[in-house]
Amino acid sequence: MIDMIEKEDPVISEEEAAQYDRQIRLWGLDAQKRLRGSRVLLVGLGGLGAEVAKNLILAGVKGLTLLDHEQVHASEESCRAQFLVPVTARGQNRARASLERAQNLNPMVEVHADSDRVEDKPDDFFLQFDAVCLTGCSRDLMVRVDQLCSQRNIKVFCGDVYGYYGYMFCNLGQEHNYVEEKPKLVKPTGNSNDGPEAKKAKVDPNETTMVKKTSSFCTLKEALEVDWTSEKAKAGLKRTPVDYFLLHVLLKFRTDKGRDPDPQSFAEDSQLLRQIRDDVLEALAVSGDLLSDDFTSYCFSEMSPVCAVVGGVLGQEVVKALSQRDPPHRNFFFFDGRKGNGVVDFFGPK
Amino acid sequence: MVQLVGSLRKELADSLSTCKVLVVGAGGIGCELLKNLVLTGFKNIEVIDLDTIDVSNLNRQFLFQKKHVGKSKAQVAKESALQFCPTANITAYHDSIMNPDYNVEFFRKFVLVMNALDNRAARNHVNRMCLAADIPLIESGTAGYLGQVTVIKKGMTECYECQPKPTQKTFPGCTIRNTPSEPIHCIVWAKYLFNQLFGEEDADQEVSPDTADPEAAWKPEETAARATASEKDGDIKRVSTKDWARSTGYDPVKLFNKLFKDDIMYLLTMDKLWKKRKAPTPLDWHQLENSACPQEDSPVSGLKDQQVLGVWGHCQLFQQSVETLSSQLQEKGEGAELVWDKDDPPAMDFVTAASNLRMHIFSMNMKSRFDVKSMAGNIIPAIATTNAVIAGLIVLEGLKILSGELESCRTIFLNKCPNLRKKLLVPCILDPPSANCYVCTSKPEVTVKLNVHKTMVLSLQDRILKERFGMVAPDVQIEDGKGTILISSEEGETEANNSKFLSDFGIRNGSRLQVDDFLQDYTLLVNVLHTEELERDVEFEVVGEAPDKAPPPQTNQEEVNSITNGNKDSAQPSTSSKAPAEDDDIMIVDSDEEEGASSSSATAATSGTKRKHSDAETGEASTKRPRTDQLSAAAAPTDDDDDDIIALD
Repeated sequence: MIDMIEKEDPVISEEEAAQYDRQIRLWGLDAQKRLRGSRVLLVGLGGLGAEVAKNLILAGVKGLTLLDHEQVHASEESCRAQFLVPVTARGQNRARASLERAQNLNPMVEVHADSDRVEDKPDDFFLQFDAVCLTGCSRDLMVRVDQLCSQRNIKVFCGDVYGYYGYMFCNLGQEHNYVEEKPKLVKPTGNSNDGPEAKKAKVDPNETTMVKKTSSFCTLKEALEVDWTSEKAKAGLKRTPVDYFLLHVLLKFRTDKGRDPDPQSFAEDSQLLRQIRDDVLEALAVSGDLLSDDFTSYCFSEMSPVCAVVGGVLGQEVVKALSQRDPPHRNFFFFDGRKGNGVVDFFGPK
Repeated sequence: MVQLVGSLRKELADSLSTCKVLVVGAGGIGCELLKNLVLTGFKNIEVIDLDTIDVSNLNRQFLFQKKHVGKSKAQVAKESALQFCPTANITAYHDSIMNPDYNVEFFRKFVLVMNALDNRAARNHVNRMCLAADIPLIESGTAGYLGQVTVIKKGMTECYECQPKPTQKTFPGCTIRNTPSEPIHCIVWAKYLFNQLFGEEDADQEVSPDTADPEAAWKPEETAARATASEKDGDIKRVSTKDWARSTGYDPVKLFNKLFKDDIMYLLTMDKLWKKRKAPTPLDWHQLENSACPQEDSPVSGLKDQQVLGVWGHCQLFQQSVETLSSQLQEKGEGAELVWDKDDPPAMDFVTAASNLRMHIFSMNMKSRFDVKSMAGNIIPAIATTNAVIAGLIVLEGLKILSGELESCRTIFLNKCPNLRKKLLVPCILDPPSANCYVCTSKPEVTVKLNVHKTMVLSLQDRILKERFGMVAPDVQIEDGKGTILISSEEGETEANNSKFLSDFGIRNGSRLQVDDFLQDYTLLVNVLHTEELERDVEFEVVGEAPDKAPPPQTNQEEVNSITNGNKDSAQPSTSSKAPAEDDDIMIVDSDEEEGASSSSATAATSGTKRKHSDAETGEASTKRPRTDQLSAAAAPTDDDDDDIIALD
């Protein structure tokens, strides 16, 4: 993919140069050009989806497709949901309702809205994208899309926010190539007889060099199906973020109930969450103590600031992957909004 | 039974709808913050920003569109936020938070103040106002990929000024005037030159060779002799650069030959300077003109600004910009002055040309306009995602405060890469107030070393009290038993004192000055320590900042981007007519492990001033660097402004 840059229009317009100035100064022109040539699919336009959409559109990708079959809920207080949907859009499809505001964020990006169910999309639908980002999807769907896409060198990202908690997962393929900028080592030149400054020009101390690197990722299936029964795995549990297990619980809730925990059914859903916790931890053969009852109070609804944090990290990972610059987070990011903790950890076959 | 409204407990959700909060700044962090506040359920928000929208803001300040360029940030931010929450009650102020209208009473209206600023002067000021009003303040900053958030509560935590922050990096005069060794020195010189030719002439911004350079003298006695000689050397030296330029009609070739040939030849006569340094090579306009090759028209695949011109190209650029600027000056009329602005093309062209010509003379590789603009304009690279993360964290801290859970508040650092404990976001326990803070202790006191015979009252006011100690409108009384008023904040009252020296008022070693800023509700006792021995170019020193608290030596990247000798990040807001100083400070945390320059931590591990800081979870110590003023953002390959800043990559 590093070679892709030749296919793109080499000239960057004055308008782009002016608008993207502050980010070009950060990640460089090459990275910006790669972004400019990338198409991304974003599934789910809830709170997290809206944040990711904003971040990618502002970054200047070539195209972003918003895919969501859900309607704008009449019951949600319109001010709490997300900022792309106008208050008048109740009952409309969420992707279509988000389109106008999303497009206005950056007219230079091609933004499309699609109201189909992602489950109904044929395999080759996904092949037109360079990266796919799944939010609000069931575990099985994510596993399936991840499988399909990573085989074709399409970067896969998943993410969700549950109250104060959020996560991001990525699969950039078995061989993701990128560059990293390192400072150039200034070797002393000249004879040892010369004075300290010698009679030479001073090297610009700000010179850097680009180093090529590769990173390898596993599938979501592998990441979620880690075996905790081995002695080694058990020993590693102490250093393992419990968020990983919390994720299993929440994904199971979503699969079983077809929705996420709902504040309107707080009592019922809390109880169910605790039950699922017991089942999941038992099935994984880990201690029930890992997740205390606490968590149930704090995983309801998508909290806006948590969407902002997770959406920011996720958005930046998509940018990094598409621009092939800087080491990607491998392969999970977990955010706990109560503690302010954000960790990156790898789950999968060693 | 727990009742939830969305994600929040009912009591908290209810308080959000009644409380009033203040957001200071509507830029990168501000836009994201406003959005988060509104979506979280905050109903009464006031937002203030003195700035207007620029096209370079649009990559991240998402409440603004192209059609809004030129309009008030606060106003447009409010209108855009109302679009997705029409029931929110938002008040916008297109104004400076340092305006005395926003007094302690104004601040007391709010239960929470959140900063989204880009300069230290305003931060110092809001810090003091929140201390005075005893309102919790959430402070934050971003630069490139890095960011941080912290909570300030009077009596409970450090205030913003508890830890000494490194002051703006400045370069010695002789480095700028005689012996530049880095591009930044040449760029600073070029900005000085701009002011000398077209702007406000400043005695501290001399561009001509410095004959009193101590390095130039073979014997120490020579330096003193040269110094007095240059003071006495009437005619030529006394004529101001501007007057001389005017006398030539701003002839670009004449200017060129003086600055890049004659002055360089003069420097060459100061041979001791070149004993161990490569000597500069003077340029001759006509020689360059004759040997210039026709420019190749290669297809531009990169940004036009990222091309590096040749010497003759810079000569032409110099000529064009001098002609444009001098006619601009003429149009403005008698006594007019231009103000340098990186977004003003001829001004930027001028600095690009002049600095590059000087770089070439001193055997440095020339730089593209893109890179020169970064350095000259103090541009901090900025992106949407970093601001989004930080703004999210701000609201989460805000919710803790409103729930009465202050003890769970944290300082949180956003790294570029996870640290060795796998953390990308690192929460740290807040420190208690510093016992020697000259702002938040009950009777703040400082000792300042200066020369009472050489320090003017105006300098005391502007350089020391305003710039260094962050006051906006100081009133100064001498503790001489008579309560002599040295400086009054009322305009005109003590103007006559401005050009007098401190000693003229009987101020001497051991004198004490009572300084009040009534707006900030702040009284500072200044002890005067008289000295005749200050370093060259140093007007005063604040005593009591022990070596171990001194700022860490900056890495090269930091130095380069630390920029201009100007007052960019002084305690005064920028005087540029356009956007305020493009800087921002951020505390960079380094976890206890060493990290390479390309990883998250800004500075390389050269700091001698790491403070142990407990990781909130594990209690492990993580080291924290003192707040650095400006750090370069992750260098772009071509390497090399903006709100929410500073961090190093």
